[in-house]
Amino acid sequence: MKETATNIRRNILHIANLALSPHIGSALSCSDILSVLYFKILQLDDYENRDIFILSKAHSAMALYATLHERGLLSKEDMEGYYQNGGTLPAHTDRLTNPYIEISAGSLGHGLPIATGMAHALKLKKSKREVYVLMGDGESQEGSVWEAAMLAPKLELDNLTVFIDRNDLQGYGRASELLSYEPIDKKFEAFNWEVLRVDGHNHQAIKNAVDFKTDKPKMIICDTIKGKGVSFMEDELIWHYFIVTDDVKERAVRELEESSDEK
Amino acid sequence: MRNSVANEIKKIAKQDKSLFVISGDAGLGVWDDFNTSEQFINPGVNEQLDVGFAAGMALMGHKVIYYNIAPFVIMRPYEFVRNDICYQELPVILVGTGSGITYAPAGMTHYVVEDITLASTMPNLDIFSPADPVEAVACFNYAYASKKPSYIRIAKNGEDVIHKEEIDITKPIFIHRSSSKHILLLHGSIVDEVSKILEIVDLNIVSVPMLTSDFDWEEFLSAFDKAFTLEEHFINGGFGTILKDKCDKKIHKFGLKNEYIHKIGNRDYLRKYYGIDGKIIGQKIEEITKG
Repeated sequence: MKETATNIRRNILHIANLALSPHIGSALSCSDILSVLYFKILQLDDYENRDIFILSKAHSAMALYATLHERGLLSKEDMEGYYQNGGTLPAHTDRLTNPYIEISAGSLGHGLPIATGMAHALKLKKSKREVYVLMGDGESQEGSVWEAAMLAPKLELDNLTVFIDRNDLQGYGRASELLSYEPIDKKFEAFNWEVLRVDGHNHQAIKNAVDFKTDKPKMIICDTIKGKGVSFMEDELIWHYFIVTDDVKERAVRELEESSDEK
Repeated sequence: MRNSVANEIKKIAKQDKSLFVISGDAGLGVWDDFNTSEQFINPGVNEQLDVGFAAGMALMGHKVIYYNIAPFVIMRPYEFVRNDICYQELPVILVGTGSGITYAPAGMTHYVVEDITLASTMPNLDIFSPADPVEAVACFNYAYASKKPSYIRIAKNGEDVIHKEEIDITKPIFIHRSSSKHILLLHGSIVDEVSKILEIVDLNIVSVPMLTSDFDWEEFLSAFDKAFTLEEHFINGGFGTILKDKCDKKIHKFGLKNEYIHKIGNRDYLRKYYGIDGKIIGQKIEEITKG
């Protein structure tokens, strides 16, 4: 699993370098969550009955592309067409680009309302398919998140699981200082969600939280570090924007590999 | 129109279990015999959620209708309509009631005189403004059969039935044929001004319920000398403007001046105040065609 997450991070650095695009910190932040989801949780073998994953914080699209490639659902050529002129994949997701990219997203606060509709549709069909959503923590400042948060428990959507990538860095500073969502666990509990809180880089903890049985919609708050895996990017706001030059890529990949060797 | 569309939806829902209605806490008396169905939800007052939820259900194979007062269908959640429904090419039907200044006494928040402008910015959104219950049902059935997103703007309930024969809403529908060389094209419920117009001036009059069809306007309008449009919408950015963009014909546009309305009154009062009631329009057309 750790090797998988390292490979995903290496893929992210590779396409960020090819594209010279921003949002590397956000992508690295959620790499472990995506690793667990795509390699331990999601049922994707039977396409018509696949589980649904929605990347609502779609500025982390590099992480999704890197994970889909690692899972064998996106070709290397398509992955490398990310953010290129005449390329294959945009900076934020477009569902028409790949059958496993479930929604077009990028504007925050859209994923949960859509996922709520999907989960309700699946409940009506008595389907066993699950719906998973990954949101950013700054994203929880969007009003539409709370609109959906009110509705999901009323509809008894026990097939809906939401992850919050709680790295406490949004576009212009710390979310907890700009407009704090805390105590986010108590807020969602008050809305009648099942709330769990885990280390968002601990694969087993993430898996255990997903496996936890409940008859409510589930919120898994993942405490994470933006830029996780590359020491000079970790918890640094500026890597929301800085690009991955050749030099940066070389240093970052070396760190990943050294870290991997240690394990 | 409102009840005719709702009844058609309820009738189809009996056969098509994929059909699903979302009401944005609107429609008391309209959905009372349907609101306990599994095919209906009123999620409360939360328009962004309504539209996102509609997109989610459509992605799972449902044919979804989102019903609300028009400003809360297209204006309040505009970006959700754009991103979630139109960009994703989902066959969601947006049904907005109180088109134009139907709900004028309720004030600025509840009438909608710029929605065609907004809706027309979304390239794949079909836009309909039916004039009577027959057109309204035909527009709904067209949208239901379509794989594209649709926006149907209807006025209220109790409009007179204009059409006694089968209609094709993708083309202009004649309401009055004349030996005159001129034509007036109407979009939406303003059609109820026709009799007052005809008391003053005789010309061909058509209703154009579908704004986004591929109809050949150049050829159609070439048969007429002067062409006029009338709508209960801002004059710039509405039906007349869009029609002008579709052909080279000179179009004389009548509609509401593009300014915020602070005048208090009902629809008929405001139509007169803003010079779009049948008598005033008839006089204006008479003056132009005489000249």
